[in-house]
Amino acid sequence: MKHALNLYRRLLGVQIRSQMQYRASFALELVGTGLIALFEYASLALVFERFDNLGGWTLGQVAFLYDMAEFSFGIMDMIFAGFDPSLFGQNVRRGTFDQLLLRPVNISVQVLGSEFTLRRIGKIIVGAGIFASALALNPVAWTPPKALLATLMAVSQVAFFGGLFIIGATITFWTVESIEVVNIFTYGGNYMISHPMHIFPAGLRQFFTYIIPAIFLAYYPALYILELPDPFRLPAFAPWLAPLAGLSVLMAALAFWRFGIRYYQSTGT
Amino acid sequence: MIRVENLSKHFKVFKHHRGAMGTLRNLFTRQYNLVQAVNGLSFEIQPGELVGYIGPNGAGKSTTIKMLTGLLVPTSGELSVMGLLPWRDRQKYVARVGAVFGQRTTLWWDLPVIESLNLLQHIYKIPAASFKQNLDEFRTTLELDPFLDTPVRALSLGQRMRADICAALLHDPEILFLDEPTIGLDVVAKERIRQFIQQVNRERGTTVILTTHDLSDVEKLCQRVMIIDRGKLLFEGQLDALKAQFGGKRELLVDFAEDYPSPQIEGAEIAGREGGRVSYRFARGEIAASELIGRISAKYRIRDLEVREPQIEETIRRIYEERLLEN
Ligand SMILES: Nc1ncnc2c1ncn2[C@@H]1O[C@H](COP(=O)(O)OP(=O)(O)OP(=O)(O)O)[C@@H](O)[C@H]1O
Ligand SMILES: [Mg+2]
Repeated sequence: MKHALNLYRRLLGVQIRSQMQYRASFALELVGTGLIALFEYASLALVFERFDNLGGWTLGQVAFLYDMAEFSFGIMDMIFAGFDPSLFGQNVRRGTFDQLLLRPVNISVQVLGSEFTLRRIGKIIVGAGIFASALALNPVAWTPPKALLATLMAVSQVAFFGGLFIIGATITFWTVESIEVVNIFTYGGNYMISHPMHIFPAGLRQFFTYIIPAIFLAYYPALYILELPDPFRLPAFAPWLAPLAGLSVLMAALAFWRFGIRYYQSTGT
Repeated sequence: MIRVENLSKHFKVFKHHRGAMGTLRNLFTRQYNLVQAVNGLSFEIQPGELVGYIGPNGAGKSTTIKMLTGLLVPTSGELSVMGLLPWRDRQKYVARVGAVFGQRTTLWWDLPVIESLNLLQHIYKIPAASFKQNLDEFRTTLELDPFLDTPVRALSLGQRMRADICAALLHDPEILFLDEPTIGLDVVAKERIRQFIQQVNRERGTTVILTTHDLSDVEKLCQRVMIIDRGKLLFEGQLDALKAQFGGKRELLVDFAEDYPSPQIEGAEIAGREGGRVSYRFARGEIAASELIGRISAKYRIRDLEVREPQIEETIRRIYEERLLEN
């Protein structure tokens, strides 16, 4: 375990150093991803100007949910970049993945250490800035439990999105042709948790409550922090289920991942 | 050290239908062809051996190496290397073996070679002293110094191969697997790699298994060869035994001092002639070369002569083509 952590640190160092070799392109991408993020927020705000509210939620409230998801996704995208399905699928086809299997280190640690997209920092910084301004739009009093829950929310969402990436990466052991399907899966998950869940049909919402517990990752913590009433009358501890939901998705994903590796070892590329 | 018994690997290659409807059909029908890449292989390899593993394209060499290195799980049969089951005991196992796949690299593409090697020290937990000693040695024998600070992406194929072989040996593996280590290299680079492999095998006692399409690799390096085709072992044993068993006939080339229309000789047949030069073919064991030369010089005037041994290439080609061992 200690060996794995130590190694992870070194592999990250390698990633960062090799990205710095292409300094100019690094800077460009940094600015680029930041600008794209800014543009996305701006278009959201524009859409909002026309409708004024979304399912009864104000711009500030929706922005809180949306920005939190964007911010967490950005962080996840940086940390879990090695599991990015399209990149990972390529590595499997090219045989790079075989090289990882030939080394005496935990395979997930190696995949995590195989890529670290530092340039996402641009997006993360913009996301954090916009998240801060979204907070300013919400006239709620901050308390220590709320701050704690907001932090848990971000961490749990990172785990959740990471789980989606791992599931997507695992699917590429079976097929690369359906990489689009895999993407719908990851980006669909992002869409679900960045919108107030009461706007979705009951069936879909129940799926994301009882099957994939995404509702506890964003919607319920948001209700608590923004002091909104719960239309579905779940118990009062529902917002605090966020870490459990994030962790369980990540654990399920890792179990699927191990199953996928066994499958890969029986079929090769 | 390596024990393989009745080992098989069969791949299911699913039929793919194209288009939107095709994708749906792929989901439900799952028709497939069975490719028997390796089919009932049995052999043993003792510590310190240097074994050449050859066979035509698609014979199942890489598939075997992948099973031996734990990348693939066998479909059936037994496989035990140093008492371990490679795919199941992956981490413990790969710490004790080294592998080079000629077509790809283990090194980090954007890193200078030396940094990749340093990283491997941590990956394999190599004690500093033995790391330094090994690295110093390989730097000289593989002549790594000119490109130690070059990023791997900028290396020539020969340089990259040397760096990769060095990388596979730093942790003192007990077995080294090489899948086409000389592919795409020029004659000089090949020779250098061969010498190095031989040296590692002799001086460090490392067991080496290498696949190749270049038979001079086998001829110069291996005491023992295994020939595989269509997933089955065609031959397994000493190179000399292979030659004796299947080696075609020897050849005697004679330059005559005069023009003889048909210089027939008992015990050999005329295989061809070019001006004053005639080539005879004769079988080892039936007649000695000296005897044959004696018979010829008794009847004709000879200017010059040369005995040619059957080429290993020729022998192997005949085995592949005629499948001499089938049945
Ligand atoms: N992952 C796979 N899925 C399906 N078929 C495979 C797979 N890997 C190999 N094969 C098939 O198995 C057979 C043996 O392939 P293998 O790569 O072991 O041959 P090889 O002896 O290494 O050939 P070469 O000399 O061309 O490298 C081939 O018919 C190949 O198409
Ligand atoms: Mg091969």
